[in-house]
Formats: sequence, structure tokens, C-alpha cells
Amino acid sequence: MTLAFILLGALAIVGGIITIAAKNAVHAALGLVGTLLCVAGLFATLNASFLAATQVIVYAGAVMVLFLFVIMLLNANQPVTGRDPVPFVRELAGIGGTLLAGAFVVLAFTYKDPRPLAEGAAALKGGSALVMGETLLTRFLLPFEAVSILLLVAIVGAVALVQRPEAQPDGVPDELEEPIGAARPEREMAPRTGAQPALQAGRESEVGA
Amino acid sequence: MVSTGSYVALSGILFALGMIGVLTRRTAIMVFLSVELMLNAANLALVAFARSWGDPTGQTAVFIVMTLAAAEVAIGLAIIVAIFRKRETTNVDDLAALKG
Repeated sequence: MTLAFILLGALAIVGGIITIAAKNAVHAALGLVGTLLCVAGLFATLNASFLAATQVIVYAGAVMVLFLFVIMLLNANQPVTGRDPVPFVRELAGIGGTLLAGAFVVLAFTYKDPRPLAEGAAALKGGSALVMGETLLTRFLLPFEAVSILLLVAIVGAVALVQRPEAQPDGVPDELEEPIGAARPEREMAPRTGAQPALQAGRESEVGA
Repeated sequence: MVSTGSYVALSGILFALGMIGVLTRRTAIMVFLSVELMLNAANLALVAFARSWGDPTGQTAVFIVMTLAAAEVAIGLAIIVAIFRKRETTNVDDLAALKG
């Protein structure tokens, strides 16, 4: 048990460092996948078998696939070059992060368990889907239903957000967008004239006349 | 059995790593990845405390946090894609139009 904790914990920290330090966004995402899998293993050592399975399926599976898909769709795997807007932001973040981690470690080891660990672990019954389902559908029924509505709203929102810009009547003026009707007819015309030579000849004769 | 304190210390280290990532990375997607790291650190602490108290309430909270994180990722990445279509960048310094 101790060996599993040390191994999984060290791998999780390595994955976290890769996540925040990798230049390539794909490498960072894969580092986070490693961390998530290690955290799933740690859940299993903490008598939370259902959560371990959910972590692998939902987080390491679905969420990270979505992340990798968007990174590759936007071709965002190259690092952003440019200077930092805040001077010494890296140094300040490093110092702040070290202090925060130190504070957490010191506080964590002052924590006293309210009952023997073996007793608490036995009370969880392995954290199976039965235990989780009983808790979710009795004491936490309202949050459970609220979260299901939230997921529905998120699905609808995501679909609405990534609609085509033409079909999205947002009414917000955007100075970076080309004025409507300026370049669009030519773009539509180009393949049509290429595909129909007879039409193209007719139009050229019109232009010539 | 590994003590609860060890798990919470590991959780704190992962949380600090995520915080450093949020502060230093300049791409919106990388900031999101770091936020996911912080959420997972919090989940780890919740599960450790659930074992310590012998109460599945902490594990239930983790389940709900996972669902919230999935919804947040779906909406957040959709927003990033929509912004990228208009502005051709996901650099958070270029997207500071609402600041101040």
C-alpha cells in the first residue's frame, strides 16, 4: 500500500510538472492524462473504486480526448512566443507556488484522524457503485438532479457557441470581421465557374460584350 | 495504511503545480489544463478525508465536482473555439479586452 502511494504520487507529480512546463500543448495534455491515471490509482487505494473507474472513463478518457481534439483543431500545439505582460511573473509564481505547497504540507501533517483509518475504510465498503448510488439518490438527490440539468445546459450551450458565424445573429459589431458582402460573392463564384465551363464561357461572353 | 496527511500533502503539491501553471502559461487551453490539475488535487483531498471519516459524502462531492468539471470543459473549449474563429488567437494577453 505504501509502495503504491509513493509510486503513484511521484508519477502524478512528474505528470503535473510536464503539464505546466511542456512547450508543446499536446505533450502537456498527455502529461495531464498521466496525472489523472495516477490519481485514479490513488482513489483505488483510498477505498473509492467507483470514483477510480469514473476518473479513468470520464476524465482521462472523455475530457482529455476533448482537450486533445481542440488543441489539434486550433493547431495550438506551438508555444506562444512573446514577452510576459507582468515582469518576473514566472519567478513570482514559482515562489508563491512553493510557499503554498509548503503550507499545505505542514497543515496536512497536523491533521488528526477522527477515528482509526481501518475503521473508516471499512465503513466505506470499498466505495462501490452501491454505496455511491445510495448516497447520491437519498441525501444528495437535489444536487444530483441539479447537476444533470447543468450538463444538459452545458450541451446546449456548447452546441450554440460553436455554430457557424453566419448562422449566429449576435448583433455584436466586430471590427476584425470583413464587411458583409465584400469578399463573399467572389468566394462563392470561384468553384462554380470552375465546375461549369459552359456557364463560365457564357459569362465571359457577357463580360466581353 | 498511508496516513491521510500524506494524501493531503500530495494534493497540496499538485494544487500548487496547477496554480503555477495558471499564472505562467499564456495560452487559454494551457490555463484550462492547469485548472483541471487543481480540480483533481481537490478531489484527491476530498477522497482522503472521506476515508478518514468513514463517510461516503466526500466521495459524492467528488462525483459532483467531476460532473461540473466536464460541463466546464465543454463550455470553456466551445468558448475558446468561438474566440479563435473571431480573433485567430488563444493568447490570454491578447484577449484582455474586458480588463479595467
